[in-house]
Amino acid sequence: MILPAALLLGHALPSAAAGEDAIRLRDLYNKDLSFSDAALEAEGKRLTVWGYMAPPLKANSEFFVLTNRPMAVCPFCEPGMPWPDDILAVYAKRIVEVIPFNVPIEVRGVLELGDAVDAELGFYSKVRLVDATFRRV
Amino acid sequence: MRHFLLSTATLVSIGGAALAQDLPQASSAWYESGAATVAQRLENQPITTRAKNVILFVADGNGVGTNYAIRLFSGQQAGGLGDDYVQPQETFPNVALVKTYSSNGQTPDSAPTAMAMNSGVKGKNGMINIMDSVAVGDCAAGAEAGTRTFAEIATDMGKSVGVVSTARITHATPAAVYARTVNRDWEDNTLIPEGCDQKDIASQLIDQMKAGVIDIALGGGRAAFLPDSVTDSEGKAGKRTDGRNLIDEAKDAGAQVVFGEDDFTALTMGNNAPVLGLFESSHMKYEADRTGEPSLAEMTEASIKALGANENGFYLEVEAGRVDHANHDTNAYRMLTDGKAFADAIAKAVEMTDPNDTLIIVTADHEHGIAFNGYCGRGSNILGLCMKEDEAGIEHTDEPNLADDGKPYTVIGYLNGVSSVLTEQADGTYSGSRPDLTEEDATDIDYLQQSLIPMQSETHSGEDVAVFARGPWAHLFGGVIEQNVIFHVMNHAVNAE
Repeated sequence: MILPAALLLGHALPSAAAGEDAIRLRDLYNKDLSFSDAALEAEGKRLTVWGYMAPPLKANSEFFVLTNRPMAVCPFCEPGMPWPDDILAVYAKRIVEVIPFNVPIEVRGVLELGDAVDAELGFYSKVRLVDATFRRV
Repeated sequence: MRHFLLSTATLVSIGGAALAQDLPQASSAWYESGAATVAQRLENQPITTRAKNVILFVADGNGVGTNYAIRLFSGQQAGGLGDDYVQPQETFPNVALVKTYSSNGQTPDSAPTAMAMNSGVKGKNGMINIMDSVAVGDCAAGAEAGTRTFAEIATDMGKSVGVVSTARITHATPAAVYARTVNRDWEDNTLIPEGCDQKDIASQLIDQMKAGVIDIALGGGRAAFLPDSVTDSEGKAGKRTDGRNLIDEAKDAGAQVVFGEDDFTALTMGNNAPVLGLFESSHMKYEADRTGEPSLAEMTEASIKALGANENGFYLEVEAGRVDHANHDTNAYRMLTDGKAFADAIAKAVEMTDPNDTLIIVTADHEHGIAFNGYCGRGSNILGLCMKEDEAGIEHTDEPNLADDGKPYTVIGYLNGVSSVLTEQADGTYSGSRPDLTEEDATDIDYLQQSLIPMQSETHSGEDVAVFARGPWAHLFGGVIEQNVIFHVMNHAVNAE
């Protein structure tokens, strides 16, 4: 599955959100799922990414997964449902206030690239936004 | 001969009537093409020899409405207005409408619909090739109520059998070619309850390869064939908890097993070794995202080449499995691009086969909650906004129609889905309004067409689908038929004296 980005859910993302450092989730990858030039250039920088908040894996956590398309079911909770390839792990500054899975959000944080495993959840990720804040679009 | 004479007489009569009428519209291109179509149809003659080969094309979720959208998309991709475009299956001489309901569902899922086509009887939602006297999930009763499939009938006649899908090869539509299960979700061993003796779908595929029923199986779904302790060629873990490595078992049984575009291209076909291609851990990629794995047309071509080496003929089922998935996501872009890939596979089969010995059937298992807005001028992008008609010309005015809320809307909409205009509010209620929309937004690969009722996944519908056919006994398709009739046409075609 490719890196479709912030899915445009029945509406356009407001241009006000598209600042110079804004990036779409799909723009982080090439078609073969290697990191894009845009992702490599943004590594370590603070930027805004659009997407959807997957139902959190754990309550009262700073962690959630940003998906390219609305993802109603937590893949870890439903046996047999694999995560899509095009996800972004988000580590927020504060405890996450849950937003419905199909409401578009924009997340602002520092882009980290490379394999990592969450010490608490065991969640494997290739790309993360850390020290992040988010809001409904 | 009597039929031919009658047809010729009718042709003369119609042509004569048109000439005699001296109609002012007779010089119109529309009039001429309409008359030409009738003349062409008068030439159609049924083929009543025994079918050597049968190819059943199924695009999952490609009902009459979805097929219409794919027609417009393909036509617009080709540079036209879209609606006058003709897909390969739409050139076939025989067409019927198909009623897709299941034994217990006004709205079917893909299990009983695939069963209807492969076993000749309707079944219950959730079960594959198990008679509807059995309750879903009843292992013991199901063991005594399995059907005999068209693949097994074809095998008994000395034919080869292939199954191709862009979904997991253990998903319902392909599974109905080779498996019997009281629960379509039992693709690997993990969900089978303790004490149930039924084998999971993946292991049934390997059994059918060993038994000589299945000669080629190409699709996604590696994880169901590997133990959870083993990772596949793309680093993804298997799902089986019984320790069985079905890929090794297939190899030990003499099968060629391939995982990507390169080893697929290098396959040695026609050496009587079964072929198992598993190109993704789960479903294959959407056509719009495809890289490193073969297209549906390429898999179809390879299968026909290999199966065609059998002088007794073959049965091949080809599924475009992800038209359905993109509809479930209300993502028209990927639905349409996978639909075009389906049409390309059909075109390849048409090119490679002779209608005098090969029955080609093109259909869908069910429709979706897709619908179409109006009144759009011609050439409105099927992905985009419904534009105004041009009363002074042909093509739309480039000005979007506006709804009563003052906002434009797309040609395609869905009755329910994740893209509902009603979203959950902080107090748990659902409300909302339609967002603003531009043509650029609506034609984006990731745009989700607006829907009404909030649902985690857009649903199937019970609306009719079409069946198109050419080749021996294709003329048996006509009118409005039950879905299980498709099996009976195939069965008649390969057995006709």
